[in-house]
Amino acid sequence: MLNVIFLTLITSLAATILFNAAPRVHNPQSTLRLTALYLANEQFAQLESLAAAGEPLQTNFLGKPEDLITENAGKGKPTEFKVTTEVSGSNPYEVTVTVTLKEGGGNFEVKAKRTIWVAE
Amino acid sequence: MRLKLNGRFGLLNKIRSRGFVFVEFAIALPLLILLMYGLGNVSVKIFELGKIQLADYVLEEEAQYVMERITHLARAAKEIKPLNDSNSIKIVYHAVDNSENFYTFNGDEPANRYWLFSSEDVWETQFILAYKKDGRDYTNLYAVHRNDIPPSNPITGENFFGDTQLVSLQCELDESKKILHIELVMASLVTNNEIKIATAVFMPGLEVP
Repeated sequence: MLNVIFLTLITSLAATILFNAAPRVHNPQSTLRLTALYLANEQFAQLESLAAAGEPLQTNFLGKPEDLITENAGKGKPTEFKVTTEVSGSNPYEVTVTVTLKEGGGNFEVKAKRTIWVAE
Repeated sequence: MRLKLNGRFGLLNKIRSRGFVFVEFAIALPLLILLMYGLGNVSVKIFELGKIQLADYVLEEEAQYVMERITHLARAAKEIKPLNDSNSIKIVYHAVDNSENFYTFNGDEPANRYWLFSSEDVWETQFILAYKKDGRDYTNLYAVHRNDIPPSNPITGENFFGDTQLVSLQCELDESKKILHIELVMASLVTNNEIKIATAVFMPGLEVP
């Protein structure tokens, strides 16, 4: 009887500890999301600059190419982003910048929208 | 029926033979110690993991805060220049100061006061300063209005859950496009992990000489 009680207690203690540990497994997703969000803002800044000068909006990545690669997920483990820009509507344009991982991204995606008016 | 209490097959003898013998105890005790050691080890690892994750979270949060602050100021700036130490920048930005401009209709009655937003340009200067405090061998960032006196409260580091340090803050201005490229690298003093975030901000009000 005592053995059963002890075994139950120890098992429940172990289960509690392991359940507590499960959500704390290292997850670089939040760091990558933060990096990707600022990358999208970099593209928006470039597009706004074009718009202010009255030039047509471009869909290729206009920021610094080295910003597409980050080691924030782990030192020595470079992650490469892919930036896609979609321009829709007429002036003012609705611009959607989507940042995904170039390889093995799974469901990783950061999407940002901004309305940009091109000076005439 | 007579109950036999003593002797070879007696009840007392049966009772005495129950329970742990020394050999059983000698096996059970090391097993228990091993089990408790394992559970203790797992608990300590979980606490360590929590500490690391908290420190990484603080690092991310501080990097984001600094970046937001700089981009926000730069957006309304007419002048931006790196200081002698390349990790520090001076930003002159547009601000509306209404503290001196209020208008009253009927004397000084507080209920009838109206804040009047000045349409004139009011400019403020903000220094994002990299500074090593006395007694510390790492750098933190400070947001101050003057750079001729030692700053006091850093906007990065000195967090109980994970101290951080500034590795580099680089700003590159493209005057023709009116774009400021910002690159911030910070490191955690708890985990030694580094975070590098880069962005750009368009500055419509930039005055190009």
